[in-house]
Amino acid sequence: MDKNCQDLVTELQEKARNIRVLVVKIAGMSDCHTGGSLSMADMLSALYFHTMKVDPENPLWDGRDYFILSKGHTVPALDAALALRGFFPEEVVTTHLELDSIISGHACARETPGIDVSTGSLGHGLSIGVGTALGIRMDKASNRVFVMLGDGELQEGSNWESAMSASHHKLDNLVVIVDRNRYQTGPTEEMMSLEPLADKWKSFGWAVKTIDGHDMGQIVDTLESIPFESGRPSAIIAETIKGKGVSSIVNHHMARFNEESLKEALRELGEEV
Amino acid sequence: MAKSFSEVLLELAIDDPRICGVSCDCWGFIAPLAQRFPERAVELGIAEQNLIGVSAGLALRGKMPFAIGMNPFVTMRCFEQIRTDLGYGCKNVKVIGGYGSGLMYAGWGCTHHAMEEIGLMRLIPTMIVLMPSDAYETEQAMRAVAKMDCPAYIALAGGALPVGKPESERSFELGKASLLRDGNDVTIFGTGATVGDALKAYDMLAEKNISARVYSMHTIKPIDSETILKSAKETDLIITIEEHTVIGGLGGAVAEVLADAGAGTPLKRLGLQDVFACMVGSHQDIKNRFGITSEAIVDTVSQILK
Repeated sequence: MDKNCQDLVTELQEKARNIRVLVVKIAGMSDCHTGGSLSMADMLSALYFHTMKVDPENPLWDGRDYFILSKGHTVPALDAALALRGFFPEEVVTTHLELDSIISGHACARETPGIDVSTGSLGHGLSIGVGTALGIRMDKASNRVFVMLGDGELQEGSNWESAMSASHHKLDNLVVIVDRNRYQTGPTEEMMSLEPLADKWKSFGWAVKTIDGHDMGQIVDTLESIPFESGRPSAIIAETIKGKGVSSIVNHHMARFNEESLKEALRELGEEV
Repeated sequence: MAKSFSEVLLELAIDDPRICGVSCDCWGFIAPLAQRFPERAVELGIAEQNLIGVSAGLALRGKMPFAIGMNPFVTMRCFEQIRTDLGYGCKNVKVIGGYGSGLMYAGWGCTHHAMEEIGLMRLIPTMIVLMPSDAYETEQAMRAVAKMDCPAYIALAGGALPVGKPESERSFELGKASLLRDGNDVTIFGTGATVGDALKAYDMLAEKNISARVYSMHTIKPIDSETILKSAKETDLIITIEEHTVIGGLGGAVAEVLADAGAGTPLKRLGLQDVFACMVGSHQDIKNRFGITSEAIVDTVSQILK
């Protein structure tokens, strides 16, 4: 990796750390889907600070790339990324428990600038991504659509209707990232097995790459190589750790910090507490 | 002469480049559009949830999709997508129940009865809900929703009606019941195919010297409260008739308006009385057995207005 690339990776790693710190601050001592927010922080850093075309001054800019957080319960990480990217001030993200805050408990396009689609019920985002990608093609435009899916979410059958239609319509402007953290309320493979997951996507006509979702160099390289194949939608299966960066909540769906564990979490993320 | 759904859709699409057709195994409805604008017609196969999600995505990109499926399935299988992605999501998608409204596919069994289509769609905030009674109202309904920036459901329910007026003398206003026959004793509100039963009942009641007023309630939401309450004042009885469960449908909507206003006028709701229409028989056989006919209207009126 040349020096410029190394600098980029270092910068994106720092943004990912900032996202994680904000996620933990959002969680505070409230009930929060912290684990699944932390697992996708590295991908969000790469998307919002390198890959995607967005304009914080004009969130509805026609030329933007679209990001759909189908796993809407992990919105704290998206709110953090949007704040750090300048869509709204950083201090706003911790107002989510206040009356009439623009920061919602699940992704809310009505309230939060930069969020394109309201989600929360699993299995909706990919269909919306397919439609957006079709609309872009009707416009003969070059925007791209990124859909972040949870792995447990793939147990919803609607995803596979969408997956089938994306390859049928040859949507190579559509990218799926599966945050493969292997935990839902319990271990995903024990609750309802998804393996062989890459083969499932391949058999639905997608071009697939499996990566380490915490290796920033790999994430950047992979995002730079989309579409993986012309005429096919791209699926990235990102192997991640639920709760990555905060050891006390690894593999927890909805852990709640107490005063001490909250401080410890921030210290672990390199913050002075 | 009113045009077919697919002809009107093409005309609308010529005028408005946002309009596209999205089909759930209903290609015939968008075939003329596809011939003229191939890139604006999308087939998705038998997958209602994806139909609505994809349409929401097209709307996110600024399009105005007409998303077409079969009435029972396009309202039930993907109810959550319509509620969350179109309603909560504020998406300008027109959901079309293309065939199989109400009990139309009687003999195919209860799986194919759209006996909840109005009720489900009416539950969703911001949804416009239309059940036109014939080709004229269908064309007008399509033109009306194409001018609005909100989700809408149109049940293509109508057949040929003995309206008795040339189209040039008819009028259609979204949200306003259409008066088809005037009278003073009883008001009959039909919707979709049952407007035909109401018109027949009008003639049968006239023979008994009972003067009926017949409306096509083509817009179920927003419901025309003004006309309902006017009828409650000016006639002695209100009848609703629908190929739908009376809970939550046209009868339910009219009952809510009357109750909210404290109107004491008697109301009789003809339709499925909280039952599945589980039997083998023709459309007319099922209507006969479950009391959704002109004869049932006449019997009900005769019993109450003795």
